[in-house]
Amino acid sequence: MGADHLSGAAMLRIDGLRKAFGEKTVLDGLAFEVASGEVVSLLGANGSGKSTSLRCVVGLERPDGGTITVDGVTAKPGEAMPTVAMVFQKIHLVPRRSVLDNVCAGALGRLGLSRSWSVLAFPREVQAEAMACLDRVGLADRAREKAGRLSGGQQQRVAVARALCQRATVLLADEPVSALDPAASEQVMNLLRSLADDDGLAVAAVLHQPNLARRFSDRILGLAGGRLVFDSRSAEVTDETVASLYRPALEALEAAESAESAESAEMREYA
Amino acid sequence: MTDLTKAPEPRLDIPPRFRPSGVATAVAITIGLVVVHWYAAVQTNTSPKELLEGWRGLWNFLFGVDRTYPNGKTIHQDGAFPLDLRWSETIRPGLEYCLLTIWIGLLGTTLSIPVALFFAVISSRTTNRFAPLWLTGRAVMSVLRAIPETVYALMFIAAVGFGAFPGVIALAIHNVAVMGKLWSEAMDEVDQGPVEALRVAGASPAQSAAHAVLPAVMPSLLGLLLYRFDTNVRSSVILGTVGAGGIGFFIKTEVDSFHFDTMMTYVCMVIVLIIVIDLFSAWLRRKVGTV
Repeated sequence: MGADHLSGAAMLRIDGLRKAFGEKTVLDGLAFEVASGEVVSLLGANGSGKSTSLRCVVGLERPDGGTITVDGVTAKPGEAMPTVAMVFQKIHLVPRRSVLDNVCAGALGRLGLSRSWSVLAFPREVQAEAMACLDRVGLADRAREKAGRLSGGQQQRVAVARALCQRATVLLADEPVSALDPAASEQVMNLLRSLADDDGLAVAAVLHQPNLARRFSDRILGLAGGRLVFDSRSAEVTDETVASLYRPALEALEAAESAESAESAEMREYA
Repeated sequence: MTDLTKAPEPRLDIPPRFRPSGVATAVAITIGLVVVHWYAAVQTNTSPKELLEGWRGLWNFLFGVDRTYPNGKTIHQDGAFPLDLRWSETIRPGLEYCLLTIWIGLLGTTLSIPVALFFAVISSRTTNRFAPLWLTGRAVMSVLRAIPETVYALMFIAAVGFGAFPGVIALAIHNVAVMGKLWSEAMDEVDQGPVEALRVAGASPAQSAAHAVLPAVMPSLLGLLLYRFDTNVRSSVILGTVGAGGIGFFIKTEVDSFHFDTMMTYVCMVIVLIIVIDLFSAWLRRKVGTV
């Protein structure tokens, strides 16, 4: 499905991914690929499985079936991959810790407990690497400030620096700009774009803003009901295509509302 | 257009606030509670009559009484008031006993910190995802907590004799269980976001505990620690009465020798001590930013 236009070999490859929470099927055989140097946006209504698919890749959810490979290495279900980093809508820094300590935490996966039991134990070379990552996102001068004192957009860039300090080759972003104002959103999206262009990262971002998706990504994936419904170059995605993604959800909402009002009418009669 | 100045025509019935089944339940619960309390009052001889008859004894205890013995002699038995305010015989030793009580509470709290932290970390689902281990942690703390400090003190006094040291050990063991539980609950309530973020970065549970959970909960842990210090000083007064040193021990000794005035002086000193510790702990908790 449209894999012919990939620039390089697929860095992240997801195939036949399935996941159900109880009765509800969230991922129904989802398949897509992201190449190095490419930014891919995932669009879809709430519950279409965008976030769940990313959470499966990083081991925060255990998929019921399907395979995930990163640079040819197959992921074990429910386990983190050292080469895959993620940034979140709610950013998830430790507000009380300094910016630098937050970035150093990205290196925890390759540090033994003797070099990571406390921030005081972080080796100098890890701190130096974290400073370089902070410099990459333009916040080296804020290293010793408490993370909680930075603005939302700056905090999200610190989270990106933490991902870089993990030495990831794949960066997943779960609604990275939903909590940010337009200017900060622009900055963060520019940063993601540049990480793909200049550093060759494979970037996959769940977005709720079709315009940002079109402007900053190479490809847009449309998800509905846990399946891929389109995979197109950003320029080829029309407003109509995007609107069609949300239409079933709207209809479902209206159906649910009318069912509810019928129910409450019944309740009234009963009373 | 609706005319907002007029009351709207009633169209909907107001749903009833109480359902008949709810009223029946409430009546049944009320009757049940009354019966249980009546039975408890019978079993404990609690009645207005007992209270009136005890009044005389209480008065004598507070203000003294002249007892006439069969041989015709009358002896005055001192009551709790006026207080015994002799400096070198009562007040100065009392202050020393109060300090000892504080030292018992302080050491009992501080010595329990490492073990309490260990139990808190293994018993919180945030920091330990291995179910058998956190079930074990919780079970051990429940058992330790089920035994009151006083019982621990009695056991250690039996083992090592009267004194402040068995009091310290008793407090420390009980406090491991109580503070461990409070701390693990504080950790349970921590925002899971940073924990997940570090898991994605490949952090082990111990690393997540050190770098996501502990920094987030540190002010709560400190607040709970101060609260436990406050409580442990109170407890150490009680432990004294069973022989574990401090002001409590001397309250008990004075009661046993019918020196009610000295005893009441010590009780007043305990009141001041507890209020001072309480204010100090509240002030310090405000300083560290928790309540």
